[in-house]
Amino acid sequence: MSLLEAKNIRKVYKTRFGGASVEALKNVSFTVENGEYVAIMGESGSGKTTLLNILAALDKATEGTVILDGMDLSKVKEKNVAQFRRDNLGFVFQEFNLLDTFSIEDNIYLPLVLAGKKHSEMKERLDNISGTLGISDLLKKYPYEVSGGQKQRAAVARALITNPRIILADEPTGALDSKSSDELLALFKKVNQMGQTVLMVTHSTKAASNASRVLFIKDGTIFHQIYKGESTDRQMYQKISDTLTLLAQGGDK
Amino acid sequence: MKAGFYPRMAVSGMRKNGRLYLPYIVACILMVAVFYIMHLLGYSEMLENFEGAGTARDILKLGTTVMAVFGTIFLFYTQSTLIKGRLKEFGLYSVLGMNRGNLGKIIFFETVITWLISVAGGIAAGIGFSKLAELGFRKMIGLDSSYKFIISGQSVFFTVIVYTFIFFLIYLNAVRQVRFSRTISLINSDKTGEKPPKANWFIGLLGLLTLMSGYVIAIKIEQPLSAMIWFFIAVILIIIGTYLVLIAGSVLLCRILQKNKKYYYRTDHFVSVSSMAYRMKRNGAGLASICILLTMILVMMSSTSALYINREENLRNHYPRQINCTASNDGFSDSYGEVVEKIKEDVDLKTAEYGAEIIDSYIYTTCYVSGYFENGRLRLDIDPLNNLTTIDFDKVVQAYFFDVDDYNRMTGNNEVLSAGEVLVGVEGNVAFGKELIIGDESFEVAKKINYRQGDFRHVLMNTVVSTLFVIVDDLGDVASCYNGYADTNGNPMLVWEWHYSFDTGLDEAKQMELGKLLNDHIRDELWQQEFWGVRCESREDQRSDFVRTFGGLFFLGILLSVVFLVSCVLIIYYKQISEGFEDQSRFGIMQKVGMTKENIRKSINSQMLTVFLIPIMFACVHLAAVLPIIHKLLMLFGHNNIPLLLICAGICVLICGLFYASIYKVTSNAYYRIVS
Repeated sequence: MSLLEAKNIRKVYKTRFGGASVEALKNVSFTVENGEYVAIMGESGSGKTTLLNILAALDKATEGTVILDGMDLSKVKEKNVAQFRRDNLGFVFQEFNLLDTFSIEDNIYLPLVLAGKKHSEMKERLDNISGTLGISDLLKKYPYEVSGGQKQRAAVARALITNPRIILADEPTGALDSKSSDELLALFKKVNQMGQTVLMVTHSTKAASNASRVLFIKDGTIFHQIYKGESTDRQMYQKISDTLTLLAQGGDK
Repeated sequence: MKAGFYPRMAVSGMRKNGRLYLPYIVACILMVAVFYIMHLLGYSEMLENFEGAGTARDILKLGTTVMAVFGTIFLFYTQSTLIKGRLKEFGLYSVLGMNRGNLGKIIFFETVITWLISVAGGIAAGIGFSKLAELGFRKMIGLDSSYKFIISGQSVFFTVIVYTFIFFLIYLNAVRQVRFSRTISLINSDKTGEKPPKANWFIGLLGLLTLMSGYVIAIKIEQPLSAMIWFFIAVILIIIGTYLVLIAGSVLLCRILQKNKKYYYRTDHFVSVSSMAYRMKRNGAGLASICILLTMILVMMSSTSALYINREENLRNHYPRQINCTASNDGFSDSYGEVVEKIKEDVDLKTAEYGAEIIDSYIYTTCYVSGYFENGRLRLDIDPLNNLTTIDFDKVVQAYFFDVDDYNRMTGNNEVLSAGEVLVGVEGNVAFGKELIIGDESFEVAKKINYRQGDFRHVLMNTVVSTLFVIVDDLGDVASCYNGYADTNGNPMLVWEWHYSFDTGLDEAKQMELGKLLNDHIRDELWQQEFWGVRCESREDQRSDFVRTFGGLFFLGILLSVVFLVSCVLIIYYKQISEGFEDQSRFGIMQKVGMTKENIRKSINSQMLTVFLIPIMFACVHLAAVLPIIHKLLMLFGHNNIPLLLICAGICVLICGLFYASIYKVTSNAYYRIVS
């Protein structure tokens, strides 16, 4: 069975006074298998952020279902949604979203503290991942003291520390310079190879070329998908570029 | 550029920031209005013709100065908060091509508009409420109401001058703030990552120490005269201590809590402790200001209301009977007995002529010296008045001598003393044994007595310094012993005093008339007799004086309290709004990371409540600490009623607390509107 299954998702935004309505997602269906690294690509306004918000239970679909590991997201009660997110999902955002009132260490602990874990357990979990993420030296610092790449690594640590079923990343390289981007992508790959499922939304070809599968979304529907298979990053990059060119020219598949 | 561009920019800028500007302008209007009213009551010709209104008006004149100074400080503070909130907007303007001069013009027009609305509105409001204030003032100082309505050109003129000057200063400050910031920092002014607050042990502990020493002084001071000097020192220490403790000490506390991992890493403490540290760093000064303002209100209101309410008792302490005659002279001569006999005869005769009956009278003669009490001896060779700064007022003691006959008559006792033997009553803190040495004379203390018996308790009029009541077998003999002593100015140290007080069957107006008559008469009669200070006062005449002084103080207390309270509201309001904007993004992040809305609301609520409760709790502690010294200060006004002072303080805390709670409700609503 798939880890994540999205079936016939439709999302309609209504303006406040019920006038014009906009269909952000038309009919999106796809699955993510356990241990997969999936990228969703699309231009601005194509509906990819809407899709991610629905997968993250931050927003509700107008129609369709999202099933994570056998649980229907729409059946999760409103008051349990936050806890559900905390226990099952890890987030990495474009803008890092670290709280400047916390040190890096405390930022990483935040979801665990919310879950009511003991300090000794939190520390153990952090020790396990801090080496891999290369953040051991940053822990006592504050967000304003470290670079964007370091902030994003801290954010990844915050996402990983709960041992989530899936990591949802929204344009994780969007605010980073190319060197930091490369480092972060390498990190995602490493994490994925350790068995972590990753779903990334991006419009960077380079970022997407790291993934094992790329979904293309245009005008609210899944337009195409590419498997990486045995190809190298470079070949994958080429395939994605070709598809994007095709998309931009408005050609049908 | 088209004419009227800058004024229009100014207007639209202010309109867009109405949430910030409206309360500011309202506060300005209130300040101007209160200033006008105080000036009108204090200076204008309106109350000039009322005899005795002088004291009350002097108090208001003082209040006018206080208002001008406080207005300047407060409007400065508010305005810089306002400008800070708009730096980003100004940054955008400068990106779009405005230079600092252009921005200066916008600020200029904004200031002019604010000035125009505030001064015009304030004076209009001042004129509108002046009648109400005047009636209230008249009632409190015991004058009849009048139906004349006065607009004082002089007061309007002064108000305009003072506030134009204040606004000019404000304008300069705003221009300075914008001029000395760079375009890029203008734009990013709210985005620069903020350093985590550092726990500053030194400042935190220094603050605690300062605060504690202020408290200790306030509690320890026993002596009203020293209280005057020490009060200001205590106040300054407490103010500095409050600022240091709230700015550094609170961060320190948060850091200590964070060190305790078991405590800190708990769902309900984690977020609140760490963001409290930030909040306190930014708002420590604001909270301290609120706290100081609240303390001022509490101190002012509890002391002035206690004085006002207690005025009748106070009056009766000073003037135990309806008519009170006094005659006094420096030094002593054997002929004094005859002089006072003569005065008494005159008074009795005149009173009888007036058709009044002398009831319940008491009469006594006393003489007193004051000196410096050391090792069981009252030294007369140190003149306290010449050593005001170095002297320990706790050791300044005055000794009143009484003849045992006067004492027995007034208390109904039947004491018999031999030469050199004395009875001693003590008010205050004077320690001595079987022997009491005053100057070079030694007395054998036969017995210590309670001087508060019968009419004898009236002999003490003020308790400013510690006092000995020494009952001797022959007053004339004792007085002769001290006749040679002179102070550094060459004046005799011994003062001879005669008191004659009585009630009459007259009504109040007649009492006053009789008092004046007697006063004029005995003065004329004795004018030729050199050095005699003679006066005759009716209680009724003094009543209006008391009412005017205490009523004036109370009135000023109320007006200033209103102004302070409004200032408090404004500081709190701006604090909530700026916090709201800061928390907006934090709110979002926490939600994404898995905090429930309810969690966030709860944590923010508890933080806000804590931050809100800090100032008023501190203020209450301050009040409790300074109450002892306030009590001593009120003694200078002849107020010695501790229960009343406590009740007044309690009621003031209650009213202030209720008002404060309602401010909290209103401003936290403004906060939630921003956050959600």
